[in-house]
Amino acid sequence: MVSRGDREEGELFTTAPKPVVLGAIALLGCAVPLRSVLVATTGDDVDLIAVGLLDWVTVPYILAGAVAWLRRPESRLGPLMLAGGFAAGLSALQLTHVDGLYTVGAIFDILPAALFLHVCLAFPDGRLRSRFEEILVGAAYGAALGLQLLKMSFGVFGPRNLLELSAQPDVARIVQHVQLVSLSAICLVGVGLLVTRRRQAGRPRRRSLALLIDLFALGLVMIAVLFTAGTFAWPGFLAIQRATLVVIGIAPIVFLLGLLDARLARSAIGDLMLELRADPDPADLRDALSDALRDPSMTLAYWLPDFRAYVDLDGREVELPAGNGRTATLIERNGGHVAALIHDGALDDEPQLLDAVGAAAGISLENGRLHAELRARLEELKGSRARLLEAGHRERQSLERNLHDGAQQRLIALSLELSMLEQKFGDRPELQSRLDAARQEIAHTLEELRDVARGIHPAVLSGHGLAVALESIAARAPLPVRLSVELDARLPDRVEVAAFYVVSESLTNVAKHAEASGATVLVARTSDGVVVEVVDNGVGGADTETGSGLRGLADRVEALGGRLRVWTPLGGGTRVQAEIPCA
Amino acid sequence: MRVAIAEDSVLLREGLARLLGEAGFDVVAQCDNADDLLLKVRSYDPDVAIVDIRLPPTHNDEGLQAALDIRSQHPSVGVLVLSQYVELGLALKLLAGSAEGVGYLLKDRIGDVEEFVAAVRRVAAGGSALDPIIVQTLVSRQRPDDPLVRLTPREREVLELMASGSSNQGIADKLVITVRAVEKYVSSIFGKLGLPSTGSESRRVLAVLTFLRS
Repeated sequence: MVSRGDREEGELFTTAPKPVVLGAIALLGCAVPLRSVLVATTGDDVDLIAVGLLDWVTVPYILAGAVAWLRRPESRLGPLMLAGGFAAGLSALQLTHVDGLYTVGAIFDILPAALFLHVCLAFPDGRLRSRFEEILVGAAYGAALGLQLLKMSFGVFGPRNLLELSAQPDVARIVQHVQLVSLSAICLVGVGLLVTRRRQAGRPRRRSLALLIDLFALGLVMIAVLFTAGTFAWPGFLAIQRATLVVIGIAPIVFLLGLLDARLARSAIGDLMLELRADPDPADLRDALSDALRDPSMTLAYWLPDFRAYVDLDGREVELPAGNGRTATLIERNGGHVAALIHDGALDDEPQLLDAVGAAAGISLENGRLHAELRARLEELKGSRARLLEAGHRERQSLERNLHDGAQQRLIALSLELSMLEQKFGDRPELQSRLDAARQEIAHTLEELRDVARGIHPAVLSGHGLAVALESIAARAPLPVRLSVELDARLPDRVEVAAFYVVSESLTNVAKHAEASGATVLVARTSDGVVVEVVDNGVGGADTETGSGLRGLADRVEALGGRLRVWTPLGGGTRVQAEIPCA
Repeated sequence: MRVAIAEDSVLLREGLARLLGEAGFDVVAQCDNADDLLLKVRSYDPDVAIVDIRLPPTHNDEGLQAALDIRSQHPSVGVLVLSQYVELGLALKLLAGSAEGVGYLLKDRIGDVEEFVAAVRRVAAGGSALDPIIVQTLVSRQRPDDPLVRLTPREREVLELMASGSSNQGIADKLVITVRAVEKYVSSIFGKLGLPSTGSESRRVLAVLTFLRS
């Protein structure tokens, strides 16, 4: 149903362990507090706050890890979080009085920091994104575990450290400095990586996700500060340690809340189904889908096979996103493309949700697609109408030009020739009068030609603009016309022609039908075009549908994306108003 | 009288030059575009320039623009604009401010050699020549409480001739009446229309035009 860009399958954990096993693991994790209580009641000088904080870290990681593993078996994130939780739990063993357990706890003392870094960088799919990240995390493990063992072999952990080979506190201290400083640096590099990713992908749209990544970064910074403080024995080390553990423990809780958030989103599918059953208007479909996906930025693009393009609901072509944190999820129905959901990249993390929304919206999307197709065809038609009009206009213009430069000029020259002949034959009145008659004939022909030419295309309009052209129209009208043209520059050709015909056609109508004693013509610029208005004080009730030429005017104006409106109440005069857009 | 011609049709340009030459004019320049005309008007200082309103390169308003330029830069040179269409709006543009030494005629009028030559002379001498079509458009224009109905038919004829730039002598010749009779008609017309009488004949053209247009 829904296809998406390539997604590599995790090759290590493709199936989740049985829920029973995971449940057991989780139970084991949850038994940690019990153990802490045990520790606390048996020991005399146990730091209760430290024990509690370690539990605060251990339990959420184990729970979150178990849930993540169950939910997304192909992701390594679950096992990784489980490991983090157990490492933290094991490190708490340092607080016991049993030497063997103490040694185990000491081995795991620093490891949780490396695991935390790994989780931060491997979120959300459990994989590191580059060789560099792999090396960085590897180095962290080396420092946290390898150097720890080395350090322990040189002592410093007291008599209960079973790994001590030879007590060389100076060497051990140097190893510890190297370990902590390098881990601080590695954590800061990790923060840098997170920041870079954020800069490239933008802030995640889902709030819980953004918060989680912020917490990751904050946790890494605090670990770096903590280790630096430990190395140089800063005062307040204890407070920093506690704060760090608090922050690191919050992260998996936010992770769990995020999963809950996604689950809630999935329940929105039910609402969506109900809404779609009411057969919403295609215009409302987007809102319904974006509510269900909880992505207000979501848009819909419909696929029109005839146009080989994606369009919006109004039939305008749209490009599918390539990167920039936006993803297009293609929706198919009956084996064909229908539409694409263009949504925030963060939703890629919830393929089931996208599948469900796509499936639920199938029929409605089909309806929307038909709607969009209709609009696209309408747009196409509008465009071709405008082009036809424009082509017709050009043709008439050149026809008029040919008449002007050809037949009319020749006739005038001929008339001039005859007139000069006429003067030459002053002594032959009979010849003179025949030449004069021929000249009169030419004069009539020229007059007729001029009317034809003007009918084909008003040359004065293209030559001198609307204001000049309308002056004659107003003067020739068989009723008093008040003319007001407020234009400070020429308008585009096609706009002038349309405006000209609106005025001349309307004045003809007024003369024929309105029984008016006067009319007003107004032409003025607006912010995005020109408005042409012809108002008379006649009988009103003009026929706007047949014969009046108003339909033709409306066609002309609408072909330019404009609008022609007519107010013609009985007895209240007629107002014709054209709004024609132009830059 | 010295005359410059700007007309892009060779046939017409040469016909005009011949016609004016035979009528006793000294054709000092013939050009087929506006820039050339402006250049030659500057160097030859003719009494009158005859300009086709449609000149290359775009055949839109180059001719009119040249005519307006000559009127503003060389007020002593009369300008007669020829066109295959006469438009009130263009007449108003050409005559804006003054009707002295300006003419605007339909190109067809060339065919009536006598009248045309008279018009060229008038414009060259600082008078006016306005095509009858313009005048008729203005006179027949509908206006509420038309004051022109108070004129007698004869007075209307005189008004139209006056508006197209004819001198009193010209009007007298055309209507076959005496100049004194013309003068009487003129003062009667001015009285009926409530126009202040003006001295020069071209100034009264503008006064009548302004009145007719309002």
